[in-house]
Amino acid sequence: MSMDFSEFKRLLGADPRSRDPELLRARASSPEFEQAAADAERFEGLLARAVKLPVPEQLIDEIRSTPQQASTRASERRWWPMAMAAGLLIAIGAAGLTWRMNPSWDSVEDYVSDHYRHDGAALLAKADGRVANEVQTLLAEFNVEALPDLAAIVGVIKYCPTPDGKGVHMVLNSENGPVTVIYMPDTPVTDHMQFTFDGREALLVELKSGSAAIIGSSAQQISNLYALIQGSIVPAPGAT
Amino acid sequence: MSNESDRQESFNELANAYGADLYRYAMWICGNDALAKDLIQETYLRAWKALDKLQDRGAAKSWLITILRREYARTFERKVPKFTDVDSVVVPEESELEPDDRVELDLLRQGIQTLAPKYREPLLMQVVLGYSCEEISRELGVSKSAVMTQLFRAREQLKEKLQKDGVTGNVHGLF
Repeated sequence: MSMDFSEFKRLLGADPRSRDPELLRARASSPEFEQAAADAERFEGLLARAVKLPVPEQLIDEIRSTPQQASTRASERRWWPMAMAAGLLIAIGAAGLTWRMNPSWDSVEDYVSDHYRHDGAALLAKADGRVANEVQTLLAEFNVEALPDLAAIVGVIKYCPTPDGKGVHMVLNSENGPVTVIYMPDTPVTDHMQFTFDGREALLVELKSGSAAIIGSSAQQISNLYALIQGSIVPAPGAT
Repeated sequence: MSNESDRQESFNELANAYGADLYRYAMWICGNDALAKDLIQETYLRAWKALDKLQDRGAAKSWLITILRREYARTFERKVPKFTDVDSVVVPEESELEPDDRVELDLLRQGIQTLAPKYREPLLMQVVLGYSCEEISRELGVSKSAVMTQLFRAREQLKEKLQKDGVTGNVHGLF
């Protein structure tokens, strides 16, 4: 029994690229079927093009480095018990889970500490290069730029979630060692506010456009970086 | 795996072969570049740890997708991302398209995002990952017949959106 037109369209809509012999026979059976198949093919071309989102250039390299990151995480896990009390470990583990389970933070301080626990240490370990070009590319998305003094010491940079949308996570190769800076384009902060978590110190900075958090150890005197960050992440020329 | 370098080589093959498609799939289901990258990172981290369990290389893609979907369900299902990067995505090759063609693609992207998950997910598996109806059926744990109905309805809804939103010049033949 030959396929009727509505069944033909249903099968076509489910799998336009199907090479099912019955479908192909039906297609050839009349101009109406043939036209429907041609229309479906055209729509499929559009659909295939629509879903083909661009893939970040570094993605495959980042995936390929996963084993090294796993190794870093494992070594961190071996080190932490020697340094931290068991109770604190549980707190960190819970916070790490919270990072993924619930991105709605009660405060900027909560966000900064959660964020740092998530991948702060792993990124610090990777900050051995210079990525000035990437700095400008990523920041341009938020209509800001990094002035040369800052851009020159960025060792690693990536997009990251913030309480109010996408932001940027950087590690600076400062004179006192690697320091984390999180740029938050749409999150208001209390300028100069300092707080501590897990033995780290954090300092919030109000910028001309957006805000930032500087995170480091007490020995790194992160307050000395306030002026650099405040003065070096500026609206891009022509940005309103 | 015989040694670490063989293991790393196998892992690299998985990254090269499936990384881009998995990222696109992740972008579509979580709508956000940073979260999609996190999802991919976690997926491949779990894959690395469990690589020795992958006996059939032909099943690698399905294995990775299963990990990714579980990871997504585990970490993201309770929240709705606060922003979406899919709307603002810039595809360099599209700058040369005619305005109507760009509008069509934008409308389709919007349409895909607004599809109910039960329609969107099988459609993305088919179009982004190249899954057959049988493979989708296995991955989602529903009958092939149900998958075919979902795929048909997904496409119908997208075509309706194009029609409703006034793009008729290039796609009138589709309806």
